[in-house]
Amino acid sequence: MPGRVPDPGNALVPFTPEVRDPVVYTIHHGLRRPVSRLSISWSRGNCLRVSVLCQHDNISESCGDASGNSNEEIGGKVVEVKLSSEHGEIDDAHNRMIAYGSVSPFAHLQSRKNYVSMLSKMPMPSSSYHVDWLEHVMEYSKDINSLLGNPKLPPSSGIEDPKTVLKMVEEPTSLKAAWELMEIFYVDKQRQSWLPERLVDWLAGYDSLLLGTESTTVHSKLVDLQRELVNLQATEDNPKYWEGISSALAVGWLEIVVKLLRLHGSYQLDQLGNREAENGLVEAIAVLVSKMPLMRPELRDGSLGECYKTKPDFVKAWEKWRGQITKLDCSGFWVMCDHHPTKEGLKNMLQIMLGNVSGLNSATGHWMELFISHLLYVRPFNMGLEGMYNLAQKCMQSKQMFKNDSLMGLFLGILGENTEVVLAECSRAFGPWMVAHSIELLTAGNNQAEILLHEERYNLGGISMEELYRLVYAQILSSHALTSQIAPIYLASCSKQGMVLLEILLYKQAVQHNQTLLKNLEICRLYGLESISSDIMKIAGMYHWKHGRKGCGVFWLQQAQDEIRLNRIAHQLFDFVGKSISDESFKRWEGLIELLGSETRTAGGLEFLHKYRDFKKSLQQIQGGKVTDATRQAVDSLMLLMKNPSTPQRFWLPLLHDSLKLISWPGRPLLNVAQTNVLLIKLQGLSFARLQPNFSEVDLPPHALSSVRLALATNLGRAILEE
Amino acid sequence: MEKSLISLGERTNCSSWNYCGQRLATGSIDGTLSIFDSPEPDSSAFTCTSKSKVHEASVEKVIWVPPEYGDAVACICTDGTFSLWEEVEEDGQSLKWKLCKCFERTAAVVLDLQFGISISNLRMVVAYSDGHVKVYELLDPLELNKWQLQAEFQNVIDSISGFQKPSCLSASISWSHQRSESFQSSFVLGFNSDLPQFNSSKVWEFDEAHQRWLPVAELALPGDKGDQVYAVAWAPNIGRPYEIVAVATNKGIAIWHLGLNPDTDGRLSVDKVALLSGHEDEVWQMEWDMSGMTLATTGSDGVVRLWQSNLNGVWHEQATLESTP
Repeated sequence: MPGRVPDPGNALVPFTPEVRDPVVYTIHHGLRRPVSRLSISWSRGNCLRVSVLCQHDNISESCGDASGNSNEEIGGKVVEVKLSSEHGEIDDAHNRMIAYGSVSPFAHLQSRKNYVSMLSKMPMPSSSYHVDWLEHVMEYSKDINSLLGNPKLPPSSGIEDPKTVLKMVEEPTSLKAAWELMEIFYVDKQRQSWLPERLVDWLAGYDSLLLGTESTTVHSKLVDLQRELVNLQATEDNPKYWEGISSALAVGWLEIVVKLLRLHGSYQLDQLGNREAENGLVEAIAVLVSKMPLMRPELRDGSLGECYKTKPDFVKAWEKWRGQITKLDCSGFWVMCDHHPTKEGLKNMLQIMLGNVSGLNSATGHWMELFISHLLYVRPFNMGLEGMYNLAQKCMQSKQMFKNDSLMGLFLGILGENTEVVLAECSRAFGPWMVAHSIELLTAGNNQAEILLHEERYNLGGISMEELYRLVYAQILSSHALTSQIAPIYLASCSKQGMVLLEILLYKQAVQHNQTLLKNLEICRLYGLESISSDIMKIAGMYHWKHGRKGCGVFWLQQAQDEIRLNRIAHQLFDFVGKSISDESFKRWEGLIELLGSETRTAGGLEFLHKYRDFKKSLQQIQGGKVTDATRQAVDSLMLLMKNPSTPQRFWLPLLHDSLKLISWPGRPLLNVAQTNVLLIKLQGLSFARLQPNFSEVDLPPHALSSVRLALATNLGRAILEE
Repeated sequence: MEKSLISLGERTNCSSWNYCGQRLATGSIDGTLSIFDSPEPDSSAFTCTSKSKVHEASVEKVIWVPPEYGDAVACICTDGTFSLWEEVEEDGQSLKWKLCKCFERTAAVVLDLQFGISISNLRMVVAYSDGHVKVYELLDPLELNKWQLQAEFQNVIDSISGFQKPSCLSASISWSHQRSESFQSSFVLGFNSDLPQFNSSKVWEFDEAHQRWLPVAELALPGDKGDQVYAVAWAPNIGRPYEIVAVATNKGIAIWHLGLNPDTDGRLSVDKVALLSGHEDEVWQMEWDMSGMTLATTGSDGVVRLWQSNLNGVWHEQATLESTP
């Protein structure tokens, strides 16, 4: 049955159900008294809020002081804990910069993907699609890569200090190093045949990151040497000088090797005469190093070596170069070299170039450096990933290094062609951003990875791993106010569950600030989330309505098309009928009717309210005892209201009571006989209705009915006389 | 890593955040309801903006009313009463928290209360210490004082058990998060009582056709039905083909999968996929994150634990939060 706890041997993902020990966080609440209770609540994204409540002291001793707020003791603390596993080497601001910067490449690639999948449904030859797609991914990868830090090689300046062998550039980050590794292996298929050289370049950029393990690295050795060079006179007497040169040579940093060689004392003008043979050997090796054949399409700016694009050309050049080395090794000039450290150092260099394993081993520190030196000098011709993996294992053994940091774990995962390990390393070491974005690299042109990552799994709630990682990343984005606005873009790329999560996210946004409210409604509109949009407007409407901004409340409820609440509001407006209200509140009341009135479909009672408003308005305009248009208007309105069947019976008396000054108009009567009769009949009906048990009495003075009756009777008499 | 947001007043007994996490309501043992607000959106500076005496007895639990019904809370007090308070501005006066409704005291004490939104209505489920459950319905969406008792039943499946009178120490209710029109409103409820048949968590669903509440699933294996339930939590479902409900009993925290479609008897299929142990004793509270992927729990061991399922569907403790002075 699906859903059962899977047997690890029979798992969907051939990946041991690795259950790591829980991460332990500590919350410092700073409370002195013992804790009695914890209360938790999820804030946005992956922020958890914990209320730590103290045990109560004996109540009797403190209850006397109820008002003393100032010296009130703290009874608890609320703390917010952010549970993200963002990469520690990058600060928050830079992380956000990366998050923002990666939105557009990601979105661009997704839209291309959608376009391609649309095309693939059409009957069209799609042979070039694969190549094109890799190009798109490559473009994406380059865009993302550029966000992770500056190019690792600084522009070479014209004037250089001859003693500066190692250029200090911005500290590289392992995040960038990891991204580049994945780019090299998964996307850059065009340059796959020059893979070893690409790895040499990679190491040149990131060797300093390998520090911190148990050995020194070539980079750290050269940094030390650089420091000493400034004060060193006869460099060639210092064993560190030769160590540095051979280490740099072992990992293929040819420019540094040549530069260091040229610092050799025999180049100095006063020495040249008596150290001619020695200098000749140094120079010969410098030339050999600078002519080293490399299988790569082009050289980096200012770098040495000779490049060959194709394997046959390279092999030919390689044989020739090796021949020259062997020849030099056997040369008679060595006898004439008196300076022992130079002779030793140069001979050692030759051994490295000839691929002597023990020479390489002692020249390198980290196993990765040994690995690269093997690629350069022992097995310079291409090998497959499996061969590389075996070589890496061998290098680890000979360096006795078995514990790997995140970068090396990732490297081994790539060489081992194990997508799960790669993902696990990315997730563990570099966090959700890396996983969500590097999946594009992993799946580019790799069917196995694509199946693994795109397969929908019951265990994951019916989504693919790709979608899961995007959801996780979007959740992390949503936990910070500055990044929560880009979460929708990632959620939109999650076809199955993204929209519902976006709805939840939008529902949890506060509505009281208009700007954020409008922004959220715009997101709803963009993604066609009508129901949540109406929920948000409902919440906003109620918020304003309850907080005294009635007009604003009605506006949002209308936007939400919330018939139920609008009807209730219309009914509330009836409460004003018959009340003597101030000008101010009449205006407010009138405004509300105006607002509600623009929607004709609401409450049938609205028709009454509109007429009542007209009546009330003309009543207010009546001044003194002169008969004006307003007076006539008021009488007409009264009659209309009283004749209209939609006027609720409970308002008859209030209406008539309101009209007392019309009915008992000084001078000639305003209402004729027929009109007065209509009103009298209504009044009669009302008197009968009062005898019914369910009649609800209106809030009017007790003599209201009798005074209306008296006024009407008087008016009738006067009207009869008039006619 | 942690950021301090608020210092709570002395004798604070319970706390609860509103839907958007910008207001905190706390209740204290002297019967005061305090509200903390942050003036700016996304600010982490909170100040106490209101203090109201809601009752003589201690406030045990504060529960926010869904925001579609304004800014309001329900306060459950130790003497077994509960009342609704809302923030309103009336007649041009400044904003004030005022009492909208005080529910009359009954012989039984209120243990838990939760609000659920059905298609167009607000419902409130209240669990009492005598094993009874009352469902109230709001009559007017603008007024939180007009409630109608819609149903009253006991948390048992067979009617015979209903004749017994249990004595319950605590109860836990959690509504399903489904809000679309095709889903009936449902909630899960479990008791910690002295009568086994009342304890096990049952999923109650409203049968619109017959206007009644029906138990559609029982989240306990045959041998565990009498286990005292400390807390239940229904996970948000962002598109899984099943629902997830966490149930904490004296045996640990069980994770249940609940089928979406009922069988011919109207029952939902249930599957216990994990039993998690970590909190040694009682579990106080369980909260799912917004995607329903991580469960946060607290218990009498004073530790917050976070639980997740890995790619193979194996549930495990992902993180532990220990508090120190």
